[in-house]
Amino acid sequence: MQEGTQKWDWEIGPKPAHSFAALKSVFAYRHLHAALVRKEFLLNYQQTILGPLWIFFQPLLTLIIYVLVFGKMIGIPIGKSTPPVLFYFSGIILWNFFSDSFWGISNTFRDHIHLYSKVYFPRIIIPLSVMSTNFLRLVVQLVMLVIVIFYFIIFKNFHPNSGLKLIALPFVFIGVAMLTMGGGLIAAILTARYRDILNLLGIVIRLLMFVTPVLYPLASVNDSLKWVVLINPLTPLFELFRYSLLGEGTVHADALVYSFSLGLLVLISSFFLFNARSTKLIDIS
Amino acid sequence: MGEIVLSVENLSKQYRLGKIGTGSLRQDVSYWWKYSVLKRQDAFFQGTDSDERFIWALNDISFSLNQGDALGIIGSNGSGKSTLLKIISRITAPTKGFVRGKGTVSSILEIGTGFHQELSGRENIFMSGYALGMTKIEIKKKFDEIVAFSGIEKFIDTPVKRYSSGMYVRLAFSVAAHLEPDILIIDEVLAVGDAEFQKKCMGKMQDVSNQNGRTILFVSHNMTAISNLCSKGIWLDKGLIKETGLPKDVVRSYLEKFAQPIPPREWKNASTAPGNELIRLKRTSVGAADLSYISVATPIKISCEFWCFAEGFTVNVNVQLNAEQGECVFNLGSSSVQAQNSIMQLDVVIPPRLLNNQSYSVSLTVVKNHSEPIFEFSNCVSFEVQDERLGVNYFGAWPGVIRPFINNDLRISEKLDKGSLEITDSFNAQSS
Repeated sequence: MQEGTQKWDWEIGPKPAHSFAALKSVFAYRHLHAALVRKEFLLNYQQTILGPLWIFFQPLLTLIIYVLVFGKMIGIPIGKSTPPVLFYFSGIILWNFFSDSFWGISNTFRDHIHLYSKVYFPRIIIPLSVMSTNFLRLVVQLVMLVIVIFYFIIFKNFHPNSGLKLIALPFVFIGVAMLTMGGGLIAAILTARYRDILNLLGIVIRLLMFVTPVLYPLASVNDSLKWVVLINPLTPLFELFRYSLLGEGTVHADALVYSFSLGLLVLISSFFLFNARSTKLIDIS
Repeated sequence: MGEIVLSVENLSKQYRLGKIGTGSLRQDVSYWWKYSVLKRQDAFFQGTDSDERFIWALNDISFSLNQGDALGIIGSNGSGKSTLLKIISRITAPTKGFVRGKGTVSSILEIGTGFHQELSGRENIFMSGYALGMTKIEIKKKFDEIVAFSGIEKFIDTPVKRYSSGMYVRLAFSVAAHLEPDILIIDEVLAVGDAEFQKKCMGKMQDVSNQNGRTILFVSHNMTAISNLCSKGIWLDKGLIKETGLPKDVVRSYLEKFAQPIPPREWKNASTAPGNELIRLKRTSVGAADLSYISVATPIKISCEFWCFAEGFTVNVNVQLNAEQGECVFNLGSSSVQAQNSIMQLDVVIPPRLLNNQSYSVSLTVVKNHSEPIFEFSNCVSFEVQDERLGVNYFGAWPGVIRPFINNDLRISEKLDKGSLEITDSFNAQSS
């Protein structure tokens, strides 16, 4: 053997590969990512009567319940001009995007250990595919929301005054996605080691919904308790979402800066943490 | 051979025994509080305890492979074979040491990686292909070939949960068999499916290993496959390399250790030995004449001693050899002797290349005056015959109760020239 003259393509050692190298190899596995997303869609609607239509029915049923319970029975004030249907619908689809992807990513190791333990691929692919699946679902539901908005504009004399505000829409998704991915990855690392956290997490997500303006606008929150809702980095993004789509919401630049910088921080640190820990976690999952 | 494409250097892997972590978050937090914050002595890393809580699944393993090598890895359960493959496949990280390599690596550690029960065969081919590291173009190009190899064309759009287990295995293996990496890692996955399919798998394995340039790491309990398919052998034992070398030598050493000679059985006390008041068994032994283990190529010597307490008639012994399922392979009548108060010895030597590789047992019946059975010692000796095959293309179970060496040969008895072939063709055409 000629030491030193050997040129190796790859090396496996006790330390995990560099995070940037891991990121680079994600591209090589893009087909696996796409196949996982496709699988998720196929599986959800396999052996169902309504099939892919469930993507619409699921938020619709939630919408009906929310409009009846929170709109008619409890009567939470939701603003001056926005019809309750649009208000709740927009909240539901963005919230579902967050909670479904957050839950899915948290369960990365539990749900995919059979694959992780038998074959190598960049470990981040699974959380990414969960994110993409839910993003696609969000897009489909958003199209549905836009149709309903147009219905209200044409038949119910609703004036959202959106226009230029719509530019903010992609930023809302980026912000929510960063927070979801970052938080989800950290939760995934913790739940892989401590299964008890998983039980807690379901409750935490449900509680989080009540301090996020999903069922109520930020403007209607009691001033003495406002800080609780404002501390939640999702709050400014939900308000911005309604502001850009429906023309009504409380939007402050400093709150948005807070959300985005926290999102970026959580995303980057969680990515490094995930890359460093994932191989070890597979040993114990 | 070619250049070195895989180098394993001082590879070690340590696992923690028992519960990973201490179980729950509460316990870990209190542990951390006690030992990191309060600086108490660590209960886990004290004295003899620490040695027992960890296990070295691999301990300082080093080897290298040249391009085109086929490495067979053998070893008993828990010897570290799978851990080694998992590290080279990048599934788990080593505790110490490095693996360096060139080219692409694919590993087949289970049959049906990435398969999902609810998806159709078609979807699963793509899913599994991607998971194993194939590209879209590669899968599309080989799709028809994969389906044809699996032989389940008709069911390709049926969810695999409705497949029989055989169909499932065939499809799953077909995908794996069409991988074309530079380095291929295969765990014990070929021991599935029916005999015919195994034949197909082994053929494919051989194709792969013969293709120039492909390097293979192969874990198997099928010693025949290792001996025939591989160019190098490694025997792992408790995380250490016990032996490396030509696969057939390594396999032999391994079998010698594990197919240990059956120790003779002996009864010291005539009153408690099996038998009756006329005849009792004193000693039985079975073994190969020269080797320490019995293989299809060794003669098998069976010896039995009896105490004989009777007199006044002739005795002989009926020797019956039974195969695994209890079917009789043959039945021998021994020569007879005049019974007297004595110790009698019976020797039977089964010639080499008669029995197949399976378990056999021997039943002895002692007969008085060639007609009246005195006592039957059923299954008093049993042994297993190890396989030994070289230069063959089939590594599955050899069918048959026996495997006698019988001359048979196929040869060209007459050459036909082109003209006569045409005659046959036209003859066929006329007749149809």
